[in-house]
Amino acid sequence: MDGRGFMFPVDTTIGKDGRMHTVSRAYAPATAQLRITMYDIDSEYFGIYGGYGEGLGEFRWPTGMASDQNGNVYVSDELNNRINVFSHEGDPIKYWGDPGSSEGELNGPSGIAFDSDENLFVADHMNNRIQKFTKDGNYIFSFGDKGQDALNMPWGVFVSGDGFVYAADWGNDRIVKYDSSGDFIRSFGSRGSRKGQFKNPSGVAVDKDGYIYVTDWGNERLEILDKNGNFIESLRGQATISKWADEYFDGNYEEAEPRSRSNLEPDPIQFGGVPHEESAHIEKLFWGPTSVKLDNDGKVYVTESNRHRVQIYERTG
Amino acid sequence: MVTTSPDVKLMAHLLRRAGFGATKEQLDQYISIGYEKVVDSFIDTEDSSRINDALVRRYFPDQSVTHDTTGAGSYWLYRLVSTDSPLREKIALFWHNVFATGYTKVTNGKPMSDQLRMFRSHGLAKLDDLLLKLSRDPAMIIWLDNVDNHNGAINENYGRELLELFSMGVGNYSEDDIKECSRAFTGWSIANSDYIKQLAVRNSIMPYGKLAWRYEYKEDDHDNGEKTFLGHKGNFNGEEIVKIICEQPATARFISRHLYHFFVADEPPVPSWPYKEPQDLEAISILEKTYFDSRYDIGEMIRVLLNSEFFKSETCHYKKIKSPAELAGNVLRTTEEFGTPNIRISERNSQITFMGQQLLNPPSVEGWHQGLEWIETGSLTERVNFASQHLGDLSKPGVRRIVQNVIDDEGESISAEVCVDKCLDQLGAIQTSQYIYDTLVEFAQENGIPSINLLKDKEKAAKKISELISVIASVPEFQQS
Repeated sequence: MDGRGFMFPVDTTIGKDGRMHTVSRAYAPATAQLRITMYDIDSEYFGIYGGYGEGLGEFRWPTGMASDQNGNVYVSDELNNRINVFSHEGDPIKYWGDPGSSEGELNGPSGIAFDSDENLFVADHMNNRIQKFTKDGNYIFSFGDKGQDALNMPWGVFVSGDGFVYAADWGNDRIVKYDSSGDFIRSFGSRGSRKGQFKNPSGVAVDKDGYIYVTDWGNERLEILDKNGNFIESLRGQATISKWADEYFDGNYEEAEPRSRSNLEPDPIQFGGVPHEESAHIEKLFWGPTSVKLDNDGKVYVTESNRHRVQIYERTG
Repeated sequence: MVTTSPDVKLMAHLLRRAGFGATKEQLDQYISIGYEKVVDSFIDTEDSSRINDALVRRYFPDQSVTHDTTGAGSYWLYRLVSTDSPLREKIALFWHNVFATGYTKVTNGKPMSDQLRMFRSHGLAKLDDLLLKLSRDPAMIIWLDNVDNHNGAINENYGRELLELFSMGVGNYSEDDIKECSRAFTGWSIANSDYIKQLAVRNSIMPYGKLAWRYEYKEDDHDNGEKTFLGHKGNFNGEEIVKIICEQPATARFISRHLYHFFVADEPPVPSWPYKEPQDLEAISILEKTYFDSRYDIGEMIRVLLNSEFFKSETCHYKKIKSPAELAGNVLRTTEEFGTPNIRISERNSQITFMGQQLLNPPSVEGWHQGLEWIETGSLTERVNFASQHLGDLSKPGVRRIVQNVIDDEGESISAEVCVDKCLDQLGAIQTSQYIYDTLVEFAQENGIPSINLLKDKEKAAKKISELISVIASVPEFQQS
C-alpha cells in the first residue's frame, strides 16, 4: 500500500535535513502496510520504503530506528534478528546480524542508538542486554545482563553526547544509566503510576541540559526527569488534527460532520483510572507511546503506535 | 488397554468440559487437590493469565486496540492457550455463542474484546447483572440496533432477541411484549452515536485509528411512559424489564438448557426447543431449582451441574464434539507453542476459522449450531490436520516433553501396547473404544516402535512416538470432549 499515514508506527528518526522517517510495524493480515514513511515537520510527504520480508530492504518486526552522521537510516528487526541499513532516500544498502545468544548474536533487537563515534548500541531484548557494534555490525562488547541490576527485556536505548548509555528497562519498570564502558551507574524509577514511577517504559532520550524524557508506555504518558532523576513533568498527550487528517476530512464530509458534533474528550473518571482505557476513549492522549526522540532545535517527538501518529512538542524553559 | 481409575477418568472429563483438557502432569496436580475443590476454584477464582496484556501489546499493538477482528481474535486465542482460569474462558465462549455478536457489523475489535472481557468477569455472576451489562454493552447496542431505538420510533431488534435468544425463548411472550420491552430500552445508547455509526459503516480508521466506544444513557430519548410487560404494568425502564425476565420460569429453563447443552450433552438446535422437551428433564429441573434458589446465579448453577451425577456419569463422557476453539485451545495448550507471544498466533487463529468457527464473527444472532454441525467434510479435514500437525511436531516443547515422559523408565525398548497406553495417558487420560485402541497398537507396531533401541536411538524413537501422537490426535475420542 502506498501513500501517507502510518499503521502501528513504533519509532521515528530525524535524519538528514530534518527529514523524518517513521517505521510502521503494521500487523499480521496487513503486512503490505509495513514500511517506512519519509516526511518533514510541515507534513510534506516524500514517499515510503522498505517492506515485509526477509530480503534486502525488508523486515518483519521493525522496532527501533537511528540515523548515522551520513543520514543513513538503521532499523532493527526483532523477528529477523538483524539491523537493516538504508540510505537517506530509502535505498536499501545492507543488513547485518545473526540470531542467537552468544556475544554479537541477537535475539529480538529492539531500540538502537548511535554514540558520537558512530558505534551502534542495540537493546538485545530477549537476551536481556545491550550490545555495542560498529556501524557495520562488528561486535565490540555487551553489558546489562548480569547481576542484581540485570535488564529485563529492555526496549529503548539512548547514548548522550557525553557517552552515557540509558536503557528503558521495560520489564523492570525503570531507566538504567551506564557509562560508556557499560558499567552500571544507577537506575531511575520504580513500578507504579505516581510521579517519577514507570510501568513498562519503552523509550528514553536525554537533552543537552541533562533532562531525561521517558515514554512511560504502560502509563500512556511522557515523563520528564532532571539529570538526577527527580520528577519534573508528566505529559498525557494533546494531539490536534494533523494536516493529512484535515485534508481527509475536507473530502469526507460524512465523517467530518458527525465528528464535529461529538465529544472526543469525555471525563476520564469513567474509565476507572486505567490509562489504557482513558487513551482508547480520549483521542488527544498518548496511546501506546513507543519512542521519544529529540532534535537539535528543542523539539520532542513521541511516536504512538495505537493512534498511528507522532506528537511533536517544543521544549521550553 | 490400561485400566484408568475412576478418579482420573472423572477429572479428565471435568477438565475437558470445564477447561481445555489437561496433560497427565496437570491431571495429577488437579487430582491431588480433589474434584470438588477444583470445581470451586474454577468458579470462585478471578481471571488470570500466564501471558499478560502488556506482553501481548508490546509485540502486537493491534490485538488490544480498536482495530479489526483478526487482532481481537488472536488476542482471545492467547487467552485460551495461556489462561490460568479455564472456566472463565469457557464461559466467555458459552456467552459468545448465546449472545452472539459479530464483527461484520461492529467492525471494531475493541468493543468485541471488551464484551468478552465482560463475559469473563461477569459470565459466572447473576443473570440479571449480566443481562444489564449486556444491554449496556456498546458492541451489542450496535449489533442489534438499539442505537436506533428511539422514544416514539422504536427499533425492536434488541428487545426481540433479548426475549427470544438471550433469556426466555420463543413461545413465552407476545409481540406486544417485544414492543413494550423495546420501549423500555429506548435511550440505552452509545456516546457520539452518529459518528460511531458512520465510522462503523465505512469501517474507517481515520484520523487516528478507530475510536473506542462507550455506553451512554440518553434520558431525553427514553420513553418513560407506562408499559405492560409479561402481565406487569408500570413506567418500566430496562432494569425493571430485566428483573421481570429473570423471574420467569421460562428463563430458568432456557438458561438451564443452554448450560446442559454446553457442558453436559448436545440438545437439539435452539430453534426446536419450543417443540422438543429436554432429553434429561430431571437434570434440567435440578438446574432450574438452583437458578431460583441462588437468585439467578450462573456460577452456582454450574457448580451444581459439575458436581451432579448426570454430569459425572460415564455415559456422557466423549459425547460432545469439541468446538474448533476448544480443540485449538486443547492442542495449543498441550504443545506449549505459545510460551511467549509470537507471530504464529494469527495463523493459528485463521486455522480455527477454517475449522468452522471464526472467533468474534458468529454466522448469525443464533451463534454457531453445535454438536454434529461442527463436522462436515472440509472442517473435519481441517480439524484432523490441525491436531495431528501440531501434536506431531517435535519442535514444540510440550510434544517433546510428552515423548520424553513416554520413554522415561522404559529401558531399552517399549512395546506397542505400552507406548499407546502411555501416549493416551499423557494426552489427558484419553479412553478409546477397543477398535480404536487396537488400531493404534497396530500402527505403533507397524511403525517399528517396539524394535527401536530407546537408549541408543533416541531421536528415531522420538520421531516414531510423535507420529503415534499425531495419529491419536485424529481419533474420535480426541476430537470429542
